[in-house]
Amino acid sequence: MVADLRPLGKASAEGPEALNAPLFNSLIKRLEGGGRWIVLDLGAARSDTIRTFGRFRCRLDIVDLAEAVGALRDVTDPRLLRQLVEALLPRRGMESTDVVLCWDLINYLSAPALTAVMEGVAMRCKSGALAHGLVYYSTRTMPQQPGSFVPLDDQRLINKAAAGPERPAPRYSPEDLARCMPRYTVERGRLLRNGMQEFLFRL
Amino acid sequence: MFEIGKKGAPEKGAEASGWTETRPESSASNQKAGPREKAVIGPSIHIDGDLRGEEDLLIEGEVSGTVQLRSNSLTIGAQGKVRADVYANSIYVEGLMEGDLYGTERVHIRKSAQVRGNVTSPRVSLEDGAKFKGSIEMDPQAVQAATASRSSIGNARPAVAAKPAVPGKPDTTPALKTGV
Repeated sequence: MVADLRPLGKASAEGPEALNAPLFNSLIKRLEGGGRWIVLDLGAARSDTIRTFGRFRCRLDIVDLAEAVGALRDVTDPRLLRQLVEALLPRRGMESTDVVLCWDLINYLSAPALTAVMEGVAMRCKSGALAHGLVYYSTRTMPQQPGSFVPLDDQRLINKAAAGPERPAPRYSPEDLARCMPRYTVERGRLLRNGMQEFLFRL
Repeated sequence: MFEIGKKGAPEKGAEASGWTETRPESSASNQKAGPREKAVIGPSIHIDGDLRGEEDLLIEGEVSGTVQLRSNSLTIGAQGKVRADVYANSIYVEGLMEGDLYGTERVHIRKSAQVRGNVTSPRVSLEDGAKFKGSIEMDPQAVQAATASRSSIGNARPAVAAKPAVPGKPDTTPALKTGV
């Protein structure tokens, strides 16, 4: 069998490709354990995501950070970056976050922006919180804009964004991520068959 | 404070000012059988204050303040702009909404909607394409606490128990206690 090396979420002529995401599945299984969960979704609001997490005792905080990727890219001053991130993320001081859904956003942030965003996120999380992300790793290019990933079911994700122009992928390595996200450790990482690395980070 | 007349009969003052009318329901958002009427705040109307009523309401104008329709449905139409905390039995959003939404039965956000606020309701649905920033409380216990608190308080300020934070929106409510 020949592996399909198309980057994750690239829509083909046949439509978007579903992706097995075992670490996302492991996240869902933890939620099935019961209790109340605060989930921070860095992506846009999607009906499938709401439906998936609506099965649990959840509060879903939706930030839609993809809209701000351009602004985050343009700011280089660390202090201004922190201010921008604070304005974009939910106000601090409420219930702390248990689960963070990064989707593919990590790829679209410069190293300083990634540090600022994930530091801001960490300040809103409980100790031991989990963050799920997808990183373009084996593939050299990625879609120009962040995708629109949603759960197809408890085990599969799908990118509903239309195929479009591409750009080089930063291809963050685990070492890069450790440098940019010093408060997070990689709990598990899995190279997916279409060239992306699925990560589950722990704070 | 603005009061919508009961069961399709606009109050005298409101009728005289022309800011509310009743007309047969045509919105796709409420597809219940049988003839029903709802009050309409038209596109040229601006209301600033506390809006209460006992009939279904469609807002196509601009409303700031609070909106309370405890036993009825509210539709924020495609032209509507609401900057208010909203309490209703069912809430359907098609236009611009900035504020918190409390739906004792359901909240439905259509694809044309732009919502910046927090949603608390036992049934929340959102159509892809809608712009939403805020929190969706889906924990039945927290929803029940918030909506029950609203019902018992009546016209008082909203329950604060499950009120989460919205980016950029000042909030002075205390944190929700949880069992986690």
